[in-house]
Amino acid sequence: MKKMLRSIGPAAAILALAAAPVSAQFDHYVALGDSLTAGVEGSCLVERNQEASFPAVLAAQLHIADFEQPLVQELALTSPLVGPPCLGAVFANNTITVGPISQMGAPLNSLLPRPYDNLGIPGANVDDLVHLTEGNPNGDTAQRFSALVLRNVPGSPFDGLNAVTEANLLNPDLITLWIGSNDILTSATTGVFLPGVTATPPDVFDANYAEVLENIAISGRTIVAGNVPDVTASPFTTTVPARLTIPGGSTPVLGPGNDAYPCVPVAPDHGCPVPDGTLVTLPASALLAQGIGVPVALGGTGNPLPDGQFIPPQTLVPGVLLYPDEIAGIEEYIAAYNQTIDEQIAGVGGVVVDINAIFDEITAHGYHIGGIALSTAFLRGGIFSADGVHPSSIGYTIVANAFIQTMNAELGLEIPPPDFNHVLFTPNVPQTGAGVRGGGEWGYSLSMWHDLLRRTGAARGYSLQMPESGLGRTRGGLRRVIRD
Amino acid sequence: MRQRHRVQVPRLRLALLAGVAALLVSANAFSSGFQVMTHGARATGMGLAYAGVGGDPTAVFYNPAGIGWMKHFEGYVGVNFLTRTEGELTGAAPFPGAGVIESMENNWYFFPDGYAVLPLTQELNVGVGGFAQYGLGLKWDNPNTTFTGQFISQNAVIQSLDTNLNFSYLLFPQLSIAAGVDYRFSKVQLERNQAAINPFTGAVVPVAHVKLNSDLLSNGGWGWNAGIMIKPVESISIGAAYRSGINIDYEGEATFTQRPTGNAALDAIVAASLPTGNPPVETRIEFPSSINLGVGIELGNQWLLALEADWTEWSKFESLTIVFPTLVGRDIFRATLWEDSWAYRVGLEKGFGPWAVRVGYYYDNTPQPDFDVSPLLPDSDRNVYTAGFGYNTERWGFDVGALLLKFKERAILPPTPQTDNYFGTYKETGLVLTAGIRLAL
Repeated sequence: MKKMLRSIGPAAAILALAAAPVSAQFDHYVALGDSLTAGVEGSCLVERNQEASFPAVLAAQLHIADFEQPLVQELALTSPLVGPPCLGAVFANNTITVGPISQMGAPLNSLLPRPYDNLGIPGANVDDLVHLTEGNPNGDTAQRFSALVLRNVPGSPFDGLNAVTEANLLNPDLITLWIGSNDILTSATTGVFLPGVTATPPDVFDANYAEVLENIAISGRTIVAGNVPDVTASPFTTTVPARLTIPGGSTPVLGPGNDAYPCVPVAPDHGCPVPDGTLVTLPASALLAQGIGVPVALGGTGNPLPDGQFIPPQTLVPGVLLYPDEIAGIEEYIAAYNQTIDEQIAGVGGVVVDINAIFDEITAHGYHIGGIALSTAFLRGGIFSADGVHPSSIGYTIVANAFIQTMNAELGLEIPPPDFNHVLFTPNVPQTGAGVRGGGEWGYSLSMWHDLLRRTGAARGYSLQMPESGLGRTRGGLRRVIRD
Repeated sequence: MRQRHRVQVPRLRLALLAGVAALLVSANAFSSGFQVMTHGARATGMGLAYAGVGGDPTAVFYNPAGIGWMKHFEGYVGVNFLTRTEGELTGAAPFPGAGVIESMENNWYFFPDGYAVLPLTQELNVGVGGFAQYGLGLKWDNPNTTFTGQFISQNAVIQSLDTNLNFSYLLFPQLSIAAGVDYRFSKVQLERNQAAINPFTGAVVPVAHVKLNSDLLSNGGWGWNAGIMIKPVESISIGAAYRSGINIDYEGEATFTQRPTGNAALDAIVAASLPTGNPPVETRIEFPSSINLGVGIELGNQWLLALEADWTEWSKFESLTIVFPTLVGRDIFRATLWEDSWAYRVGLEKGFGPWAVRVGYYYDNTPQPDFDVSPLLPDSDRNVYTAGFGYNTERWGFDVGALLLKFKERAILPPTPQTDNYFGTYKETGLVLTAGIRLAL
C-alpha cells in the first residue's frame, strides 16, 4: 500500500479509495510521451507535480494500483542552485512575478526493478521514442531525462533500450501516446520557424509516428493518443501584448522585420512596428521593461525586440517575436501532424483525444467548473503553470478528464471522471520554502526562458545563444553561448 | 435604486402593500419551476384541483369564472407556511466530488393571501385577490465556508406579490365567464462568492461576496387573466382558466464585499478590481402563462371529485441575464431553456354536514432540463399528497390543508452536459400547511 501511495500520490490514492469499486477495464497501463506526459510544471519535474500528471490521474481512475513514475525529489532553494529551478509565483518589488521557488533534486525510486509506467520524457519528440536509446545525464534535454525516465545508461539493466521497448516489456493492455508537441514547440519558444531545425517536416513526422505505432500497436492492446495542441496559444505567447498602450490608443512594439515583413526603420527608431497578428513571447517582458521594443518617442530605446534566427551550421538564436507568417507555418504543421495522428491511430484501431480542439475551446471560452471560471491567462487563469507553456495540476486534471471522456465515448467504457475538488482547492506549493526572485512586468526573466528552453529540448543538437538585456539593433545578441 | 419602472399607486394602497410585503418572506417553489399554487386551504386539501370547482373567494386565483354564481359578499384570508423537510445534494465527480454532502437550509417560510368577491348585479360579480404566485427561497448551509457550490449560488430568492382584479359575468345560468388584470410586484436577490486563482498556490480561493438585490415594490409588471366555467348538469362543473405571462424588468443594486485571503499581495490586487459602492444591476424574468383545465363532479351523498390538468408555458424562461450597466466584463448570461410543463391533479372531498374532509394527489413535471440543474435551482418531478378538512356554513367557515411534496431524486451525472459542471444527486421533500377563514355577508 505504501508503495502504491508513493507511486500515484496521496491525492490520487484518496480518489481511488473513495470511488465506488468497479471492475478494472485494463490490467496494465503505460504512458508514452514528453514533458506533458511526465507532468512538468513550472519548468521542472518533481514529485509534487508528478503526482498530478495526467497519466497518474488516469491510472487512479482506472484503479491501477502499481502505476510507477520516475519520481524526483524537490529541494529547497540554495545559492547557488544545485538543480534545475522550479518556477512559481513570488512577490517581489511590490508585484506578483515569477521566480524559482524550489529546485529538482535526486531521483526517488531509481532502483525500481522494471520500467516505469509513466515513460514521458521531457524534451522528447516522436523520433526519440524509438531512437533515443542512450540516456546521458550530461547530454541535451531529452538525453538527460531519458537517463532519468528510461535509465538507459551504461551499467543499467535498461542500457540501450528506447521508450517503446521499455513500454513493451511491461506488456500493457493500454498505452496512452501524447507526443509531437516538441516537434513544433521550439518554433514558438525560440521565435524561429524553420523546418528541419525547429520544426519537424510533416513527412518526417508521418514516418516517425508510423515507426512508433509499428512498435506498440499489437492485438489486444488499446492505443489512446493525444494530438498536438496549438503551441502559439499558451500564455507564453499570448500574455505580452504586441501593442503598447498609449494615451488614446495603442501602438505596436518594434521588431526587426523578417523576409515576409521587411523593415526599413525610421529614425530615431532602429526597428519597425510589428504587423497585426504578431505574437510577443513572455521573455519580451524583461526587454520591454528596459525600453527595448519601445519607440524613442515613447521613452524607449528604439531598438527592436529580437526575432529568432538560425545561423548555419548549428547556432540557434532565440527571439521573442512570432511574425504572422511564422504563426501560419506553425499552425499549418500542427494541422498536418494532427492529420497524421488521426489517420495512423485510426489505422491501428486506436482512439484520438482531440487535445487541440479542447484547448482551443478553453482558450476561447474558459473552463467552467462549479461556478469557477478557469482560463489560459498567465498566473491567474489556473490552467497553465508558471512557465507559461506546461499545464498546471488543474490543467493536467482537465487533460486526464478529456482522455477519460473520449475513452468512455469511443470505447464504451465507464471510467469515472477525476475528482477536481482536491486539485482546485489544495495549494500546490513546495514544502521546501519559497524564493523571492523575479523581475519585469510579468517577471519572466531571460534566465527563466533559458531554463524553459532546456526543459523543452529547444537546443537539440544546436548551440543556443541567448540574447541579453541591452540588446543592440542587430537581430539577437550573441553575447552568451550556452551549450545545452 | 432607480425607479424607472416604478408604478404609481395610491399612497394608501402602497402602505397596505408595504405591510403585506413585510410579511411576505421567500416562498419555496413548490409547484413546477418556481410557481406556487397553494392559495386556498380547501384547494390545497384537494390536490389543488380547483379550476373546475370554485364557489368561494379563492376561485379568484384558481378560476375567476368560479365566482360567477356567488350571490353575497365573501372574503377570505389565508396563511401559508412552507418548509423543506429535506434538501440535500450528494456530490459526484468531477465536481464537487464523491462523498460531498451539501444541505439546503430548512427554514419555515410564510406568506398570506386574501380574496374578496362582491356581487354588483345578478349577473356581474367583481373579485379581488392578493397572492404570491411565484417564489423561490433556496439558501445552502455553510455558504461561506465548506459549501462547494458557493461560486454558483449561496442564496437565491424570488418574491412576488400579485394583485388581481376580476369581473365575472353569468352569460347563462349554466355559464360564467370572467376576465381580469393582474399586477405583479416582484424582487430578486442572488448571493454567491467570487472565485479567483491564488497565483502563489495555484489554488482557488473565494475573494469576494457578491449580492444582487432588488426592491419588491419598485419592480413589477402587468398581466391579465380569464376564465370560463360551465355547469352542463347540476352535478358537474367544467372550468378553464388562463393567466398571461408577465415580463418584469428588475432594477436593483449590487454589493461586492471583499473576502480576505490572508495574502496581502493578492488581497491588494482583488481590492483594486472590485467595484465600490452599490453599482446598479438589471435583470429580467419572463414569468410564464398558464392554462388550468378542471372538472368537478358531485358524486352524491356530499362526495365531490375534482380532476385537473395544468399547463405552464415555462419555455418563456429561456435565459437569465444579469447586466451591470456601469461595470465592464461582469455581465452574466445563463441559458436556461426550460420546457413547457404539465401537472395532473385529482382531489376528493367528503362532506359531513358543515364539515368536510379532503384528500388529493398531483404529479408535477419539472420544466428544467438537466444542464440547468444547479445549486441556483435544482428542480425535479414531484409526487404530491394532500389532505385537509374544513367547516363551512353560508355565513362563515374555515379550512385547513396540508401538502407533502416528494421530489424525485434527480441525478445529474457525467457525461450529462452541465452549465456549471456541478454534479450529484439532489433529494428534496417539502411540507406546506395552509389555513383560511371565509366570511360572507
